[in-house]
Amino acid sequence: MPGKSLSPWTLGWFGSAVIFLLLALVLAFVCDLGPGDWARPQALAVVHLFTLGWLAQVMLGALVQFVPVLTAYPLPRPALALPALLATGAGTLALSAGFLGLDGHTGMQVLFRIAPLVLGCGFALVAVMILPSLARKANLHLIEVRMVLIALAGLAGLWTTGGAMVLTLGGASLTVDLAQMLPLHMLFGIGAFLSFAAFGVSYKLFAMFLLAPETAGWQRRWVGGLAAVCAVLMLAALAVALSGAFAAPIRLALSLPALALCGLYLDDIRRLWRNRRRPALEPNMAWSRVALVFLGLSAALLPLAQWQGGRMAEAAVFAALVGWLSTLTLSQLIRITSFLTWIQVFAPLIGRRKVPVVQQISDRVTASRALALWSASTGLGVASLLFGSHIAFRLALAGLFLAAAAIARELVAIRKLWHLPVADRPPCLPPIIRPSVHPLSVAEP
Amino acid sequence: MADPQLQDLRQALRAVVDPETGHDLIAMGMIYDLRLDRDRALVTMTTTTPGCPLAGFLRMGVETALRAVPGIREVAVTLTWDPPWSPDRMESPRPRP
Ligand code: HEM
Repeated sequence: MPGKSLSPWTLGWFGSAVIFLLLALVLAFVCDLGPGDWARPQALAVVHLFTLGWLAQVMLGALVQFVPVLTAYPLPRPALALPALLATGAGTLALSAGFLGLDGHTGMQVLFRIAPLVLGCGFALVAVMILPSLARKANLHLIEVRMVLIALAGLAGLWTTGGAMVLTLGGASLTVDLAQMLPLHMLFGIGAFLSFAAFGVSYKLFAMFLLAPETAGWQRRWVGGLAAVCAVLMLAALAVALSGAFAAPIRLALSLPALALCGLYLDDIRRLWRNRRRPALEPNMAWSRVALVFLGLSAALLPLAQWQGGRMAEAAVFAALVGWLSTLTLSQLIRITSFLTWIQVFAPLIGRRKVPVVQQISDRVTASRALALWSASTGLGVASLLFGSHIAFRLALAGLFLAAAAIARELVAIRKLWHLPVADRPPCLPPIIRPSVHPLSVAEP
Repeated sequence: MADPQLQDLRQALRAVVDPETGHDLIAMGMIYDLRLDRDRALVTMTTTTPGCPLAGFLRMGVETALRAVPGIREVAVTLTWDPPWSPDRMESPRPRP
């Protein structure tokens, strides 16, 4: 049946993620967070509402939707998407509440302890869903597929480091050296899991949106190889740190392959860009360029961040999480939501009557303005962390919130087809977060 | 001179549009073969990528559009990704800026 490759909960993942994004930004503003404040319990809560609630949820939802496109093989157990979504959402809330409890609220301690378990269930369910398609022999030669597999190894490392730190902070008998574990945790989360998955998915998405040939050159093979090297070094550092020995030399050595990897990835994307058949860029691709600039910036700051910590590390993490990963995600979210909505509402009418094109159901001016505000605010945020300006950081937070709210509104407008003339809208629209194809919703007007 | 009914079929396919690009399937180079066997239209087509979520819908759209051509009673659509689609198949690729 057409449409069977659509995961019914993709928009549920996206919606939940956007709510977490708005929540994280509001909380950061209300708690008056700024440069140098990152060890505060409120900061830890905000960081995880952002990284797990927003970035990880959107990435997991995107993988569930996208792995069948990448592998041309349907997911064997699509029904696990809803429990996975609920578990990651609940786990994120529990972890963040637990962080707030570090201030002394004993009631929150229980939530803190169970959060890694709940999150682990969510991650495992996603892995069970997508691994059988990824690990098929016919797909393993694809660098994009290998990158997503490495990202899943990164997710395991992220969970292990995070869980070990939760046990330590929660006063369990197992304790780890937080000073060793935390930098590794960030490398697993930001690098191995989120960035490597984004590299893999973007190769395919960018080629599709730019109409560029998908042929993989030597750069892409090197990107795949270096990503594997980085993941192995991270896992080795984790094993060393867990055994109680000093893992910093391995972690520092990682900067070199990581820098080469980012450089080659950017060069590969530049090649894709130059070979594109679509000269006019849509907002999703135009603003993805800003994300790529922030990727370059955070990669350039990585050796300094690893060496010096402090402001450099704060700026590098912010540039990566807010500049690279979030700008990329927000730009593509608008496009992917439009595409899924289009399929749901108009695809069954192909060949029967004239249908609008995907671009018509979103508003490029609104999207571009919101993404411009997001990008400018991110730039201000990075600068304020580098120079230690509290007031500038608050201004950046306000800008980020306004931009995110404008994008959230645009996503609702897309789902409700507000940008189409009334005559072109079907009489009844599908529910806002379920993208299954409803034959009734496409009755001829 | 091409068969006028084949021309009609091609014309019908020009109305089936790839929603991503706004180009019709012939302009996109997605129609690999189109034949007429009396009142049967035989199409071999592709999509931009094998896992494309639109594949089933485009196939149905092609069937519906061709069946509406006068004189056509049956339509057989074969989806293939061998050879794979590439942007080089697009009609008159626009020059790069
Ligand atoms: C993509 C997902 C994640 C990312 C990007 C991420 C990132 C981070 C960052 C940047 C910090 C430092 C925050 C600060 O200093 O203010 C941190 C700390 C921490 N994370 Fe995560 N994290 C993720 C997921 C998790 C998970 C799944 C867990 C638990 C299972 C976890 C547990 C912790 C703990 C306990 C700390 C505090 C360590 C300390 O107090 O020194 N994180 N994480």
